[in-house]
Amino acid sequence: MMVVEKLDTLQSVELAEGVEIRLRMAGPMVRAGAFMLDLLIRILALFVIGLCLGWAGVALGGRVISGIGLLVWFLMDWFYPVIFEAGAWGATPGKRMMGLRVIQANGSPITFGQAMVRNFMRFIDAMPIFTYGFGVASCLSSKRFQRLGDLAAGTVVVYDRLQAMPVIASPPPMAAIPLPVGLSADETRALIMFRDRSGLWSEGRRVEIADQIVSLSGVAGTAGVNRLMAMAHWVQERRSDAPVAKVEKWKGVETK
Amino acid sequence: MTPGDFEHKNSQRWLEYERLVAGLESGKPNEHADQLPRRFRELCIDLSLVESRMYGDRLHERLNGLVIRGYNVIYRGKRGGFEHAVSFVTWRFPCAVRREWRLFLLCSLVFWLPFFAMILSAKHDMSWIQSVLGPAGMASMEQMYGGKEQQIAHLRSEYGSNFMMFCFYIYNNVGIDFRIFAGGMAAGVGTLFFLLFNGVYMGAAAGYVNQVGNPESFWTFVIGHSSFELLGMIVAGMAGMRVGLAILNPGRLPRVRALVEATKRSLPLIYGAAVMTAMAAVVEGFWSAQEIPSNIKYGVGATGWVLVSAYLLLVGRNRGYEVG
Repeated sequence: MMVVEKLDTLQSVELAEGVEIRLRMAGPMVRAGAFMLDLLIRILALFVIGLCLGWAGVALGGRVISGIGLLVWFLMDWFYPVIFEAGAWGATPGKRMMGLRVIQANGSPITFGQAMVRNFMRFIDAMPIFTYGFGVASCLSSKRFQRLGDLAAGTVVVYDRLQAMPVIASPPPMAAIPLPVGLSADETRALIMFRDRSGLWSEGRRVEIADQIVSLSGVAGTAGVNRLMAMAHWVQERRSDAPVAKVEKWKGVETK
Repeated sequence: MTPGDFEHKNSQRWLEYERLVAGLESGKPNEHADQLPRRFRELCIDLSLVESRMYGDRLHERLNGLVIRGYNVIYRGKRGGFEHAVSFVTWRFPCAVRREWRLFLLCSLVFWLPFFAMILSAKHDMSWIQSVLGPAGMASMEQMYGGKEQQIAHLRSEYGSNFMMFCFYIYNNVGIDFRIFAGGMAAGVGTLFFLLFNGVYMGAAAGYVNQVGNPESFWTFVIGHSSFELLGMIVAGMAGMRVGLAILNPGRLPRVRALVEATKRSLPLIYGAAVMTAMAAVVEGFWSAQEIPSNIKYGVGATGWVLVSAYLLLVGRNRGYEVG
């Protein structure tokens, strides 16, 4: 498991092209929101269709109209999500509004059959008594927020377009300080992520996190944060500005 | 090379790629579509570089998003279309049913045993049937099949009521098939419950009419669509049990993996069940309630059973090896 997966709701999937993509899994809350939107859309659609049928009923007769009404109800009930999720959007209108998409666990778009399975299984997910208790329990206990229908169809719900990370400028690096010891790839990643995200946190939070690795930075408190920033800066930009002299100077500090 | 250099050097290429993908996403014909695979592979390499050189989250997220969009465009599934439907009817569906013949036996037993048990129980003791149907159920059976012959035809005299009943049977019966299928997800318990319940209830209704109603009006009504409808329901039960058994007995696969494989195998069954039940709805809506001599109705009904059985047993036998 990579460091991003420990820190985040990201899941890595390797494609046939030999590259790993990261998918951001959607949790139960945002999906519940999408469900509510869909419910609203369906109610509105049924209302509008009902009005039109009422008008058409004058010409066609009440029995024919109630028949058509039953067919519409049937399609809305079972196939509204199937049609949309199997289509080019890969999402119901509600999911699309929330920026979600349903895909196969291997990253590719879902098939009609999968859309059918995952939505028909809703019948079980919605139990007991339409509380979605089973679905939520399954979501929370599976690694990828899959409800039972997702498990059966082999699908996951992800954020379609990853929202760009909020751009809050992290404190500009004052200097580039070389790493005192060799770090593993994951440790280096964690260091860079610390720098990338530090703009999101308060000064106190930064210090709190940086204090966990005093062994690397050598000092606690704000000075430690600055040192870590400078090290991350060195890792990312070392080819351009990391004069050897600084390394020597830093070593001097270490030996004191 | 710093992240900035990397971005600066390639950003033009990424923009061109993004424009291409956006064009293809919109579904319009695009003269540069043939460039997509090459550009996609380049993006994949860029993403790998960003990952291994640790250029940071911002660049990674941007390229990650671009790769996913391209991947979705390239692997967008083609819908089956006409050819797919023909092969489904001419061999894939009956072959799928025959391949699961054990499940067919199981689901048939779960339905037919209580069905006949309820009918037979009427001869000795009506209390079983009375407790299953309840007062309201018995009253409605009385109303439909109580008195003179083919009474049900009179309930259909108003204009459009045949069509309305057809729609109702689609809504109700196909919906029941889907619930039977979904019930498999509860380790098969839901599937077995629905099959058993339908067997008991239908058996009770038939037994009640046999005993106190007008059996001919009942049997002439149901015989026409019974073959499609009941076999369709049993096939839906097979689909549900296929899923349920994968949960109970995943064999050598991890349980979730076994579940995914099982739902793939159950798909032709549930498609077929829905089609059969929809056909039953056509017959039940437009034929079964017509005032037609009983002999013809029985004849047509029997022919239906023979045809459906022959279809499921015989059609596509030469293609069986392709299913594996």
